[in-house]
Amino acid sequence: MADTSTAQQMLDQEMIARIGRRDQTAFSAFYDRMSGPLYSLAIKMLGDPAEAQDALQDVFLQIWSRASMYDPEQSSVFSWTVLLTRSRVIDRLRARGRRSRVVVGSTEDTSGAEADASVAESAADTAEKKDEAARVRYVLNNLPSEQREAIELAFFEHLSHHEIAARLGQPLGTIKARIRRGLLKLRERLHNL
Amino acid sequence: MISEEQQDQATLYALGLLGADEDAVFESELRSNAELRDLVRELREAAGDLALAAPSLQPPASLKQRIMHDVATQTERVVPMPAQRPPLGWIPWAIAAALALFCGLLALDRMRLERQLADIRAVDPLMQTTFYALAPSAPAPADAKATVAWQPGRQSGVIRISNLPAPEPGKDYQLWAVDAEHKDPISAGIVRVDKNGVAQVRFKPVEKAQHVKAFAISLEREGGVPKKEGPILLVGTT
Repeated sequence: MADTSTAQQMLDQEMIARIGRRDQTAFSAFYDRMSGPLYSLAIKMLGDPAEAQDALQDVFLQIWSRASMYDPEQSSVFSWTVLLTRSRVIDRLRARGRRSRVVVGSTEDTSGAEADASVAESAADTAEKKDEAARVRYVLNNLPSEQREAIELAFFEHLSHHEIAARLGQPLGTIKARIRRGLLKLRERLHNL
Repeated sequence: MISEEQQDQATLYALGLLGADEDAVFESELRSNAELRDLVRELREAAGDLALAAPSLQPPASLKQRIMHDVATQTERVVPMPAQRPPLGWIPWAIAAALALFCGLLALDRMRLERQLADIRAVDPLMQTTFYALAPSAPAPADAKATVAWQPGRQSGVIRISNLPAPEPGKDYQLWAVDAEHKDPISAGIVRVDKNGVAQVRFKPVEKAQHVKAFAISLEREGGVPKKEGPILLVGTT
């Protein structure tokens, strides 16, 4: 995750290796660690809890069956699971033929909605995740607004660069540059924060 | 040097916004351009971070139950059915008997080794050794492995590596201790394998590591780095 230490990344890799060897205990612990952020992403993109849960079920079954194919050269474990989730969610968005009901820019924490949270997590884990999420939101909200807007449309609404250009009335090259610069700046600032 | 156009393509690729044809073209370019691959990895990490900007929610407990049930069912399904008894039905029993005998010998050997270890420990109370089995991650050969014998009391250990080819010029393998009380892994030094991919090295982490959860080996710049940068090749816990 954003400020997840290298040590945590190594433990994630170890967990994935164990899941690849069909270790259900490791899988259960991995679910506890990852399900919150992945579910939050699925809800934000799909806008429907029931559909988000179905998508998450697909994602975790995919993790169970494909853990041995994870390649640390390509991404961290967390980013791999985020991209898997996004991919499954996009399949669902395409299937239902409509875009999500996302309100762009609504990245404030809705911790009140966590009342139904029932996954057992240690307080330390939860605190660590909230801290990371707060850092990402802080950095994202402090990007130039035109970059943040383009990134959110691309990432959460899965609009193509052509669609974003049309919606914002900007040239295609400008939109591509905004997404690129914003994403690189996000990464750099999270590194340095 | 990566052009702006390549950077744009890398960004769209990392966000999954390229079409299937464009994906294929870009992936062929990626195969021959290490700098571009590094950029894509960075952009993927940034995309991963973005997920945390979504309002925090937790799924209901029933979802985990559903998923764990599915996983258990899938696991049961892959258990092989018993094969039909072959005409020479005594052969499996003979093999089983041989295996049982072999296991018995191994158990005796293990007991002997454990006795020796207990004797050594009795002589030297500092010699509380913990063993870590390191398994390969994707970039390492599937048969690469390592074992670490770690003595927390002495803050030193021995690592034995096998089947890990020497790194490319300008690179070194570096050993790391993942300690519960340190945010980042602690460097335990460079490990150099011989031409057969074997190394046996005594090491000492650069900082005190009282609660080591795992050891790992990564591929780093020649001479090593103070903080891990490269990919993990081997990692393992007790």
